[in-house]
Amino acid sequence: MNDIVLKAEGIIKTFRNGDEETRVLKGIDLVLPKGRMIALQGASGSGKSTLLNILGLLMQPTSGELTLLNQPLAGLPDAVLSRYRNRHLGFVFQYHNLLPDFTALENVAFPAAAPAGRLKRDVKERSQMLLDRVGLSDRKNFLATRLSGGQKQRVAIARALINSPNLVLADEPTGNLDRKTSDQVMMLLKEINRDDQATFLISTHDENIAAYCDERIQIEDGLIAKADSG
Amino acid sequence: MLFLSKVALRYLTSNIIQTTLLISGVALSVVVFVFITALINGLALYLTAEVTSKIAHVELEPPNTVSRVLTDNDRFVAAPVSTFRRKQIRNWQQVLELAEKMPGVKTVSPTIDGNAFLTRGEAVLPVAVQGVSPDKIDAMADLSSNLIAGNADLSAGGLLVGVELAEELNLAVGGPVLMRSERGAERLIPITGIFKSGVSSLDRRVAYISIGAARPLFDLPNGVTTISIKLDDPDEAPRVAKALQDATGLKATPWQEKNKTLEEATDAQGRTGVFIQSFAMIAIIISISSALLLSSYRRRAEIGIMRAVGISRRFVAGVFVLQGILIGGISALLGAGLGYQLCVTLASIQGANGRPSLPIAPSEGGYALVITLTIIGAALAAVLPARAAAAVDPVDAIQQ
Repeated sequence: MNDIVLKAEGIIKTFRNGDEETRVLKGIDLVLPKGRMIALQGASGSGKSTLLNILGLLMQPTSGELTLLNQPLAGLPDAVLSRYRNRHLGFVFQYHNLLPDFTALENVAFPAAAPAGRLKRDVKERSQMLLDRVGLSDRKNFLATRLSGGQKQRVAIARALINSPNLVLADEPTGNLDRKTSDQVMMLLKEINRDDQATFLISTHDENIAAYCDERIQIEDGLIAKADSG
Repeated sequence: MLFLSKVALRYLTSNIIQTTLLISGVALSVVVFVFITALINGLALYLTAEVTSKIAHVELEPPNTVSRVLTDNDRFVAAPVSTFRRKQIRNWQQVLELAEKMPGVKTVSPTIDGNAFLTRGEAVLPVAVQGVSPDKIDAMADLSSNLIAGNADLSAGGLLVGVELAEELNLAVGGPVLMRSERGAERLIPITGIFKSGVSSLDRRVAYISIGAARPLFDLPNGVTTISIKLDDPDEAPRVAKALQDATGLKATPWQEKNKTLEEATDAQGRTGVFIQSFAMIAIIISISSALLLSSYRRRAEIGIMRAVGISRRFVAGVFVLQGILIGGISALLGAGLGYQLCVTLASIQGANGRPSLPIAPSEGGYALVITLTIIGAALAAVLPARAAAAVDPVDAIQQ
């Protein structure tokens, strides 16, 4: 039984712009246990998006080690990291969340159908079930462009869950939604977290959103300033 | 359906106007390719057919006399083989029989060739006289279809002349003309017909009589000077010529050897065609590549989402390569169909002389070649956009 989903040790990230170097992350140590819902908080420019990208295997750290389900990730090629992202991680972004030329159901099924080569019946059924769970079964054949902002985020949440991930990373998932819709989305995430025992790491600067989480990690100036259990 | 195909098709159909314009542009290049290919091949076929319909495909003649080196003690003396003997094929009936049995041979005709002067009043003109079998004249030279006066029946001992020769000597059908052969024989011969082949050297310099009438004129009571052969397929002439030369010992000349300029002209046309075809292919590659490159840039955010959710670079690249192949395939089929229709239409338009105004051959449009080249070209054109799409950094694309 593995209770640690992701472990980060001594993560440093430096960006270079000509001769100028900017160290955004200055040595992050972090453990994400199974089934927890964690808020990653910090002011704009504190490094939380960069950390989220590194933990989501979208960006390589300058130094430090990442371990996903006891598997060290250092030096793995892009194809393997893509496979890990596809099988073990789910993503919900603030913008550009869906593929506009595809229906809600196709968007949900995409991460499972593309690697398999075709849209299998079991993937289609699971996509329908997930859309039903996020309350959008009646919108399954709608193109993404015909959905409202809240509906798009709910489709993105369903898509993040299609491959039953161990960790869902959400970057400001309610950033461009109104209060009422934000609460609906967060209640949905909480419900999924409780039912599926998937770990959620949610980047937010909104206290109301953080209040839905079990734990809070405060990041300041590239370092973890505070970690509280909720 | 493969999910990759579904994504590629969805991208193509999402902006139907842009895709239609792109396919139309590529199809137009394919039409140009087909048209040029059909025109150049048609022209080559037309010229070849024009030439081969009027001349023998293989000519058998006595071998050339050659100088032979004779030794006289310690001296070398070059001496010609006797030139006192008349060059002729004496056993022509046996050669005729042998040639007629050869596969691919359509007609064989013994011929007596010679030079003569035609005299009418004070006007005298030199002519190349061909004494042919009256029943084979059309098979050999297709004169009946080119007659503008009289008929091509030489069995009564008349003469067929070209229109330019007739005009210069003011000859008319039924009227006599005096022929004086290179052997000094003279004969008054009636004009049976006047032909217009369109080939000036024939219309001005050649006259036909029956082989029977030629014998006393050229003093060849038994032999013939040439055996002319027509084939089912003129392209087979070199092969048949070699086989006949080996079998008879006579000098066999395929028509291609006597018409080198025609081959050079058709080759030059072919090279010009290759240039135009290459430009058409380059236009296809540039159109597809630029359109897909633009698409890969416009869809950066979507590609970023795909990459973020773990879709491989290979899949992303495959979507763009497949789009290129689909555009190429559809455009190639459409362009080939339209090109064929265009060629058929143009080939059916007749000029003032009743012949097609363009010597275009709709069946020779190089359809398989253009479809294959377009699909391969389109796939290659998609490689650059595919690489650009696969290289999209998901973080950059999503944050953009």
